[in-house]
Amino acid sequence: MTATATAGPERPRRLQAQGIHVAFGGIKALTGVDLTIRRGEVMGLIGPNGAGKTTLVNVLTGFQAPTEGRVLLEDRVLQGMKARDVARAGIARSFQAARLFRDMTVEENLVVAGLGTGLSRRQARERAHEIIDWIGCAPIAATICDSLSYGDERRISIARALAMGPSFALLDEPASGMNESECAALMQVISELPARFDCGVLLIEHNMTVIMGVCQRIHVLDGGRSLAEGTPDEVQANPAVRRAYLGEKADHTELVI
Amino acid sequence: MMQKSSVIACLEKAWPVLVLVLPLLVAVVLADLYGSVLLKRTVTDALIKIVIVVGLYIFIGNTGIVSFGHIGFAGIAAYFATWMTCCAMMKPITMTGLPDFLRLETYSLWSTALVSVAAAGLAALLIGLVLMRLSGLAASISTLAALFIFHAVYANWDNVTMGRASIVGIPTYVTLWVGLGGAFLAIIAAYLYQISSYGLAARAARDDEVAAQAAGISLYWNRLIAFVISGMVVGLGGVLQVHFMGTISVNAFYLNLTFLTLAMLVVGGMRSLAGAVVGVVVLSTIADVFRRLEAGVDLGATRLSTPTGTQEMFLAALMLLILIFRKDGLMGRRELRLPRLRAGRARAAQ
Amino acid sequence: MRNFMQVMVDAVALGSLLALVALAIGLVFGVMRLINFAQGDYITIGAYALVVPTASLTPALFIGALPVPLMVAGVLMVVVLLALATERVAFRPLRNSDPATLLISSFAVSYFLQHLVMLLHTGRPKSVGIGQALTTPIEILGLRVPGIQVVTMAVTAALLIALVLFLKRTPMGIQMRAAAENFQMARLLGVPANRVIAVAFVISGLLGGTVSLLLIVQTGTLDIRMGLMPVIFAFFATVIGGMGSLAGAALGGFLVGVASVLLQSYLPEGLRPFRDAFVFGLVIVILLVRPKGLIVIGAARERV
Repeated sequence: MTATATAGPERPRRLQAQGIHVAFGGIKALTGVDLTIRRGEVMGLIGPNGAGKTTLVNVLTGFQAPTEGRVLLEDRVLQGMKARDVARAGIARSFQAARLFRDMTVEENLVVAGLGTGLSRRQARERAHEIIDWIGCAPIAATICDSLSYGDERRISIARALAMGPSFALLDEPASGMNESECAALMQVISELPARFDCGVLLIEHNMTVIMGVCQRIHVLDGGRSLAEGTPDEVQANPAVRRAYLGEKADHTELVI
Repeated sequence: MMQKSSVIACLEKAWPVLVLVLPLLVAVVLADLYGSVLLKRTVTDALIKIVIVVGLYIFIGNTGIVSFGHIGFAGIAAYFATWMTCCAMMKPITMTGLPDFLRLETYSLWSTALVSVAAAGLAALLIGLVLMRLSGLAASISTLAALFIFHAVYANWDNVTMGRASIVGIPTYVTLWVGLGGAFLAIIAAYLYQISSYGLAARAARDDEVAAQAAGISLYWNRLIAFVISGMVVGLGGVLQVHFMGTISVNAFYLNLTFLTLAMLVVGGMRSLAGAVVGVVVLSTIADVFRRLEAGVDLGATRLSTPTGTQEMFLAALMLLILIFRKDGLMGRRELRLPRLRAGRARAAQ
Repeated sequence: MRNFMQVMVDAVALGSLLALVALAIGLVFGVMRLINFAQGDYITIGAYALVVPTASLTPALFIGALPVPLMVAGVLMVVVLLALATERVAFRPLRNSDPATLLISSFAVSYFLQHLVMLLHTGRPKSVGIGQALTTPIEILGLRVPGIQVVTMAVTAALLIALVLFLKRTPMGIQMRAAAENFQMARLLGVPANRVIAVAFVISGLLGGTVSLLLIVQTGTLDIRMGLMPVIFAFFATVIGGMGSLAGAALGGFLVGVASVLLQSYLPEGLRPFRDAFVFGLVIVILLVRPKGLIVIGAARERV
């Protein structure tokens, strides 16, 4: 996989959101959120529905301009850039809905992502095949995405993000709707990402087994504000998090489930 | 063994073009050998329509944006071809607004075709630079506005286009074989574009604008490229049309031709190159049948003929039926592929 | 000054006519995202209903021979029935298609109707004399204004008021506004989709029939393309005003009418023939600057 990870000292080490505010009309979606994702780690982003997780990802990827605050890739200012330029700067994302290019084949989906980041056709195809082989999708490489199963759609959506050879991959609920064995395979894939692609990962997920299993650090949002950040153990032990998630009668086992 | 499989790979790659081009070749040979003058004209006309509709497909099929303005590019190229080739005696008097190099000179057909197509491409580039910033319905509406602007300008630019009057005396060199050559060019251009990185990126943007941007794809530039290439191919259609008819008027490049070519694309399938060709063939055949019916059919002692206008009504009804019951047209979203060879390769892979 | 006033009267009269057509297009777009190009053919067919279908260039009157109230009712009824028929046969099955497909389908309907008229009446223009008394100018505040312009403005004002009352005061009107705002939600809340859409087509038919009558009195000529230019201008008027906003459609209609009359009067001589090109250029400019038009309603941004 060395061809995929264009390892080198010039690869940015961190992606930072500093003091992000987002307001839609009168509604505050995010209030003063700070977040740093480091290369080489998987960071979890959790919080109840409506906490602002996806909005934060939209801000980081240029789909949503923050009302206030900065987004930095190492020293480079990203806010104000178009989504496609952010993508070209090395930040890939997947979506809650898979959003595949549905009239194109699995391989073409990945090739497009490679082309989008400036690879030649040949390089994009090579990278696509490496990733397809790695995640075990070779048998469906020539399938039109329209006819994929739900689980395959989700896997390909992650694979497409990786085909961009990103410095940072932001995955929005990749495990939603997956069964237990699919989840296990997904966890395996995600935990291997930082080393294999020399990148950082931000993982939004409701499935706590996945979050606790693969993340080195976890950031908790609630009502558009940062509630806590720390290792899985610290976050699980944090009373504010337990209240936000489970109400007063929370106990540890429920949180893990 | 290696060599054989590479031959097959080549064949497989060229197949979507061959499967369209070879039947056209056969049709042209047959029409040339056995067809009446009228049939030859009908087939030539259909070949020119293939150029235009395939040109439309390059933009509409790959970007998913319905354009109502492309016939304007055919018109622009056609008028350029007219200015460069027509009526050396009349031109200086009737088209006084032309610059001297057009008004006083006449050019060879080859250079005329090249310049006219380039003019259509340039017009598409200038208009596309503005319009491709828009998406979806707004883009479609603005292409329609562009067609109306073209028409309003050319219909009133009396000392250059002779207004709404027809210009006659344009050399007619488009035969069956020239038409076939044009259709070949258009189909090959469309296929090469379709399999290129640009075509791939345009289709990604068509399938999901948001995901395409997240993958680093520029909606704007990729649509612009499609717009320009398709404008040029449609322009080629306009040049062939004018050198086939020998006359030109601004209304020949307006709503009726827009509707007819769009209908062909819709019936065949907007998302498939094969669909563009099939649509032209089907609707041209139907039009020919109606032409014969309108001329009258002898049934024993009585002579029956359908009234003028039934052809157009049938065409509109057919288009509606296709939109309602088979939205992706006769061809669906697929190209014609080599089924047997693909199956063979899948077995080999196992 | 007097000259300017005269120009303004012309401008408002044309604007009124276009506002009526734009309202019809805007109303239907509001409830089903259809830009109905066949609106122009409703107008044409309404006018042709006045005469007996023959090849003659000065045809005998048909509905036009009836006493005025019956004639008006007859034309309106023909156009309403036509609008309902096109909705039922062509547009209802396509209700869930994307707007571009719907636009293509309305082209097909328009093409069909245009050739139907051609089949029945031949394609040549015909003359018909109806309501000629209205074309004599009347003196208002020192301006000589053709009676038909006064009638056009009065009818537009009356219809606008009636339409506003209908939309604000009647249950059906309120449901229709809800549907224009958010069709899916309105449906969930129990708004009967078929009825609302049918009523929108009925109103578009009434407006279309009114325009038929106003146009035919003005020009005295039947032409199978008589509805085309009004519908093109009105269509762009709805774009300028803001697709789906009825106030925007009316405003856009007036603006386009006024703009084209003013351009006609005040453009330099050499550019005057290209007036329409300027009007259509304006549409593109508006789309670029304000893609949702001057009056934006229910701005639904796609969630990522």
